[in-house]
Amino acid sequence: MSTTLVWSAIVIYVAVAILIAFLSRSGKQNNMNSYFLGDRKMNGFVSALSYSATTYSAFMLVGLAGLTYNGGVGALGFELIYLMGVSLVAFFGPRFWKVGKKFGYVTPSEMLGDRYDSKTVAILVAVSNCIFLIPYSAVQLSGVGYLLQGVTNNAISFSTGVILATALAIFFTYIAGIRSVAWTDSLQALFMIITSTIVVLVLIKGLGGFSGFFGTLETKYPQYLTVPGNGFFSFLNFLGLSLPWFFFSLSNPQVSQRLYMPSSLKSMRHMLMGFLIFGLIYTIVAIIWGYSALIMFPNLENADMATPLVLQSDLIPPILGAIVMVGIMAAAISTIDSILLTLSSLFARDVYGNVKKNTSDSAQLKVGKFIIPVIAALAFIFSLMEVNLIAVLSVSSSAGLLVVVPAIIGAFFWKRGTAAGVISSVVVSGFIVIILELMQIKPLGLASGLWGILISTILFISVSLLTKAPEEKAKGFLSV
Amino acid sequence: MKGELKWGLMILFFVLIAYILPYTLLTNVTKWYGSFFVWIILAVIVIGINYFITKDWGKEK
Repeated sequence: MSTTLVWSAIVIYVAVAILIAFLSRSGKQNNMNSYFLGDRKMNGFVSALSYSATTYSAFMLVGLAGLTYNGGVGALGFELIYLMGVSLVAFFGPRFWKVGKKFGYVTPSEMLGDRYDSKTVAILVAVSNCIFLIPYSAVQLSGVGYLLQGVTNNAISFSTGVILATALAIFFTYIAGIRSVAWTDSLQALFMIITSTIVVLVLIKGLGGFSGFFGTLETKYPQYLTVPGNGFFSFLNFLGLSLPWFFFSLSNPQVSQRLYMPSSLKSMRHMLMGFLIFGLIYTIVAIIWGYSALIMFPNLENADMATPLVLQSDLIPPILGAIVMVGIMAAAISTIDSILLTLSSLFARDVYGNVKKNTSDSAQLKVGKFIIPVIAALAFIFSLMEVNLIAVLSVSSSAGLLVVVPAIIGAFFWKRGTAAGVISSVVVSGFIVIILELMQIKPLGLASGLWGILISTILFISVSLLTKAPEEKAKGFLSV
Repeated sequence: MKGELKWGLMILFFVLIAYILPYTLLTNVTKWYGSFFVWIILAVIVIGINYFITKDWGKEK
């Protein structure tokens, strides 16, 4: 792909995104509620698109396509089971929304801290979210670097790509907080779903239409249409991969925080339904993308190269290729800026707000804004360093965040849950997940996420039963 | 939130099917209408259930 073409596409994208970000500014954004939650007045359409853009990072067209390339249809099952898991929003969404409004929560960790009547809970959950999500963002950043380097044959260097992505993520966050993030997210999501669907239709047509496409798969790659197929998706692997993601909508604060934002339950409904339909289409697109790569370029050593190769193939007109490439870059950025914003709100509200006594809302906002570039810089530095621990933390992020899920479910459904239960379950199982990932071991064949959720559930329940529960708060939450 | 348990169990049922079917009955069906199609249909069903769960959102106070 020519470098001029790639740069032109990037410049156009940046110009349009900046324009949208500026147009999104409304209200004063001079308090935490406004800056981080859009005054809880987000409409359903933007919420749905932004939720989609935040959830679906560059992983879809690179990682998921690569997973299909390696293991076949199991990748579809994994991603659709995740999508089914978003049904949790139908049960927890209104609950988050109602208590958020009632008690003025800005972050999910603040909610847990208040529910379990413990500042330590809020601080710990916030810190553990940062530990897993900063490395995750770093890997997203390096993804942009590799992508640009790959499609331009090194004409755009890895570090240029990473710097560009970091700068844009900070910029989109700064202009108007969640509003500019949500609107640029929406632009990206719409853009991505349209262009990638076009690419996939072009690919299917070029590879012999629906019957030709599946005919090739059925005759040449039959094991890619079943699980365990070539063995990549053994049942335990599949379970270990999909189960942590099933709870993603609760465990990941950058999406669970979104449950506080819709202007009404009707808007939340639009957010949920819009996202589910978006997710279904986008998942099928990514899987067919991976299959196309398999048909066109079998025997690749590194499956992550599948997408850059598809984009540069003869079937795809170069302009379309460049547009989608920028779309993938934008997808990474739209995920990073949301994580950036959420983590800075966690730090300001739960760490700073609890460690320092009697902080005002405006002081918290100042700290939040100050910390945004600091977190971005950390992710940036991590993305340039090839440190094993960073990669491990990123891979284990879904498993590591999963350990908070029993405490979240308990908050609304179990009146006996206690702070000691939350603290022990989050800390102990968080460490276990990191150790298992670092040592690359799967005791009894079970992946780290499975051990994480198992141990955290047992600890949360047993330690809670041994300690005294905060009855008043429990009543307030269970009757929501 | 009426009928939550019923809807929850229904979703759980289809999620279990999504784990079980492809690893049992469909392991040798190397066609587009094997696991590929079944997973998509199950996802569509679950999305449909979500439609019904959230149907009255915003109508109650």
